[in-house]
Amino acid sequence: MNARRYGTVIGLVVLCTVLWALTPHFLTISNLLNVAQQSSINAIVAAGMTFVIISGGIDLSVGSIVALSGVALGALLQAGQPIPIAIAGSVAVGVVCGLVNGLLISIGRLPPFIATLGMMSVARGAALLFTEGRPVSGFDEGFRWIATGSVLFIPAPVIVMMAAYAIAHVVLTRTTFGRYVYAIGGNEEATRLSGVAISFHKTAIYCVSGLMSAAAAIVLTARLNSAQPIAGMMYELDAIAATVIGGTSLLGGEGSLGGTLVGALIMGVLRNGLNLLGVSSFLQQIVIGGVIVGAVLVDTILKRQRT
Amino acid sequence: MNRCLVPRASCLVLGVLCLVLFTSCNRQAPASDDRKTVALVLKTLNHPFFVDMRRGAQEAADRLGVTLQVQAAEREIDVDKQMQIVENMLQTGIDVLAITPSGSREVVSALVKASGASVPIVIVDTRLDAKAAADAGVKPRTFIGSDNYEGGKLAGEYVVSLTGGKARVGILEGIPGHETGDSRLRGFRDAVAKASGIAIAASQPANWERDQGFNVFQNMLQAHPDIDTVFAASDLMALGAIEAIAAAGRTGAIRVVGFDALDDAKKAIAAGTMSASVAQFPYEMGKAAVESAVKLLAGEPVPADIMVKLEMVTKATAAK
Repeated sequence: MNARRYGTVIGLVVLCTVLWALTPHFLTISNLLNVAQQSSINAIVAAGMTFVIISGGIDLSVGSIVALSGVALGALLQAGQPIPIAIAGSVAVGVVCGLVNGLLISIGRLPPFIATLGMMSVARGAALLFTEGRPVSGFDEGFRWIATGSVLFIPAPVIVMMAAYAIAHVVLTRTTFGRYVYAIGGNEEATRLSGVAISFHKTAIYCVSGLMSAAAAIVLTARLNSAQPIAGMMYELDAIAATVIGGTSLLGGEGSLGGTLVGALIMGVLRNGLNLLGVSSFLQQIVIGGVIVGAVLVDTILKRQRT
Repeated sequence: MNRCLVPRASCLVLGVLCLVLFTSCNRQAPASDDRKTVALVLKTLNHPFFVDMRRGAQEAADRLGVTLQVQAAEREIDVDKQMQIVENMLQTGIDVLAITPSGSREVVSALVKASGASVPIVIVDTRLDAKAAADAGVKPRTFIGSDNYEGGKLAGEYVVSLTGGKARVGILEGIPGHETGDSRLRGFRDAVAKASGIAIAASQPANWERDQGFNVFQNMLQAHPDIDTVFAASDLMALGAIEAIAAAGRTGAIRVVGFDALDDAKKAIAAGTMSASVAQFPYEMGKAAVESAVKLLAGEPVPADIMVKLEMVTKATAAK
């Protein structure tokens, strides 16, 4: 398990070394802080995705939930609500979306792909309907601190990301809920037979994903100084990519948040490096696709050798 | 257990190496080159409009002896990705930043960093939100573009004259909440509102895409068979609508007016399946962006607004 995680870390280090050799602009403190900040939103969404994928599911609705929680947050702030209330409202929207996903999957017995595909469209439509298609923008400095502020030179979005990962890591590795996430993904039937309340735990897993999407929405809204109903499109694919690069198996039952964090950083470093090098936008897409497939391929080969 | 030791050790070594590199490289000065670098950040490069803009910019850059760096997000609406590109390019020590903002308010947060680094900003195609820019203290040196509202109005006035002020119009909108499309539609609506005989039967988004233009217009025609004129906020959607009209066997009976004057649209206009399209001149915009950037670098004054012409392309002019 540990060796696999290091495989991803080594990949990140190799990537960084290559970029350091190719451009003098990569390894500077300000650039590395940029990378961490740029990776934070994908990383936060991917943390929730990791819970879902370890449990053997998939959540395609995260990008749309980011948009819906974001516009709820924007609307509450513009209505003059204090920041904590607005954030609570936004989180509630995210968790409720996750709850609906979870209930459809556990009680309704829908495949996660279908349930969350439906939510992807419903939440996006709701965000557009609610805002009549227009972005909600212009917030005060206090709220924007979440994106523009920093503590001891560490940008606030990175702090949010680290806090999210610290809490999620403890939940996933130190609680019974966390153990059941792995158990459900490993063998759902056996877990059911051993008396675990599958429905309850599955529903909770999708709530975690909704919660993380809302957290990402808060950072994104502060960063853009605007809540856009069209925000977060394709975030689901970036989050799945980060999770899978990080060594979490799409079949469920194994994976780690540390791996996902490194996976998100690999994607962030790659995009940043390609920008710094001035690589053509079209070539960038090819490189990113190649790295995603390559990372998982290497991981699979390493794993096969070990067993 | 022993097998785990190898990756663990190598990780440690690489980690330490990384740390050493981190601390030693921080002081490394950016490579200096006597050629100045102009960065052009586009909304996307998967649309002919921006490809033309890049061509114009490249022509001017080659002629004036500056290095041009062009970057774009994968999707036109991805403001966050565009902001990341701006942040990343600023790290490489660019001398001027020219940008077509994906979001007129949102992108301001990234431009603050350009102002902080004293990199002059040239805005192309889509204006910044004046209030958001002023609040953040971002002062672009010039704006180069043509007015989407005026373009929409031009299309509306053309429809009024073409139909003699009597028509039932179906509108294909871009992605909802997108400034460019919204301005074009406002211009169009304002122009046709003056003609009392023109009714807007339906207005639906087809998200800038050709296949959606086909589907949405096919559905629109089912619901409103009496539609005799289509205005699409972009040519790609107009071209989709033309296919839907052909599928319904009504080619020639429904007038189609688009926006952008793409090559395919010009061919359709010449062939008579499309009535007209509003032409913007992205090549000129790209050229003017780099020319202004070079002037700024030389300390010469540039006008606050450089307006690029708009033109109605009709059958008479499409063949050119």
